[in-house]
Amino acid sequence: MSRLNGNLLRNFMRRRSFCTAENVDGDLQSSKVQIFDRHLKRKQRDRAAWLINRKDSLVNTVADNLLDRLEDVKKTFPTTLCLGGSMEAIRRSVRGRGGIEKLIMMDSSHDMVKLCKDAEKDLSSDNIETSFLVGDEEFLPIKPSSVDLVISCLGLHWTNDLPGAMIQSRLALKPDGLFLAAIFGGETLKELRIACTIAHMEREGGVSPRISPLAQVRDAGNLLTRAGFTLPGVDVDEYQVRYNSALELIEHLRAMGETNALVNRVKFLKRDTALATAAVYESMFAAEDGTIPATFQVIYMTGWREHESQQRAKRRGSATVSFKDIQKEFGG
Amino acid sequence: MVRASIVVEISRTLSEILVCPLSKQPLRVCEKSNSLISDAIGVSFPIIDGIPCLVPKDGKIIETPTDDDSLDTKQCA
Repeated sequence: MSRLNGNLLRNFMRRRSFCTAENVDGDLQSSKVQIFDRHLKRKQRDRAAWLINRKDSLVNTVADNLLDRLEDVKKTFPTTLCLGGSMEAIRRSVRGRGGIEKLIMMDSSHDMVKLCKDAEKDLSSDNIETSFLVGDEEFLPIKPSSVDLVISCLGLHWTNDLPGAMIQSRLALKPDGLFLAAIFGGETLKELRIACTIAHMEREGGVSPRISPLAQVRDAGNLLTRAGFTLPGVDVDEYQVRYNSALELIEHLRAMGETNALVNRVKFLKRDTALATAAVYESMFAAEDGTIPATFQVIYMTGWREHESQQRAKRRGSATVSFKDIQKEFGG
Repeated sequence: MVRASIVVEISRTLSEILVCPLSKQPLRVCEKSNSLISDAIGVSFPIIDGIPCLVPKDGKIIETPTDDDSLDTKQCA
């Protein structure tokens, strides 16, 4: 009898864990699957604002790399929108690149925005007019065709509807506007993924999602074209960061606001499992000097809003020169 | 009773660019409640510490039409 009750209870619990996360404005109940708990992500980013490390080499490198792409373009971008992620690092690293005059900083966490606002007085020598607002990347409160450049450094991989967020960014851009984004790719934290899986299987006999689903490089190009960007460009960089212990890795993730926010996450982590994970990680991946590596694969995406001045493929059948002529030209 | 007046300062840049996150319609500043009102869907978004919070979840649905009328008189210059 008690076993029957137990089964019923377990079924009930299991069904509950699949319900979608609390949605915004009831009447906008979307039928899309909620992978990430956006509300929790806001809270995590609030905490990250307090734990922020301005000398974080990974974040600074990615921000610098992203802003370097502005140097490759002749265009200037007077009005720029910076979406979440590591916008503090972006603000610090601008240094006149891209001819940015007005910078709008947006994040879903109020504390993070406040942090950037307070840091503004140290950076006032830049002559950049900054504005701050709290907003959600999936519901962009920006008028269409109003900004020249949209930058998102390590923020979009937490959106439930990445194509939707990119489409909204595209609509916010003026014609011939640029969209630059850096997101974490599928190879990120693969060592942690392996260690977690093994430790979990050992200790609890099952596996629960610990690392969020991340975009693959091959999908990035599709994402850009699907969002309607022209002249898409994707490239990948892998960074290996060394830590003294697995705990340091977790603290780093916490400080970046990158901790688990999956809807299906298991809310409790047993102490044994955590220790087992750290032990497996260290035994499998430790280097000779005892430090452990963690891979961060960053996918840089570039896309432009359509404009007549952009080059495009000519219409089929409109060729004026044949290959034979070219061959003759080269004396073939 | 002395009431501290909260000055709602939305920079020109922001006021030209911001729209309602859900309906993409223009917003109106309401000094009385220190918020941005989206008339299209009847939601008000708070401004905390001078920073507009336009996350859909933070929006409060404006209850009755009478509220709207009293807010109508306050308009950001």
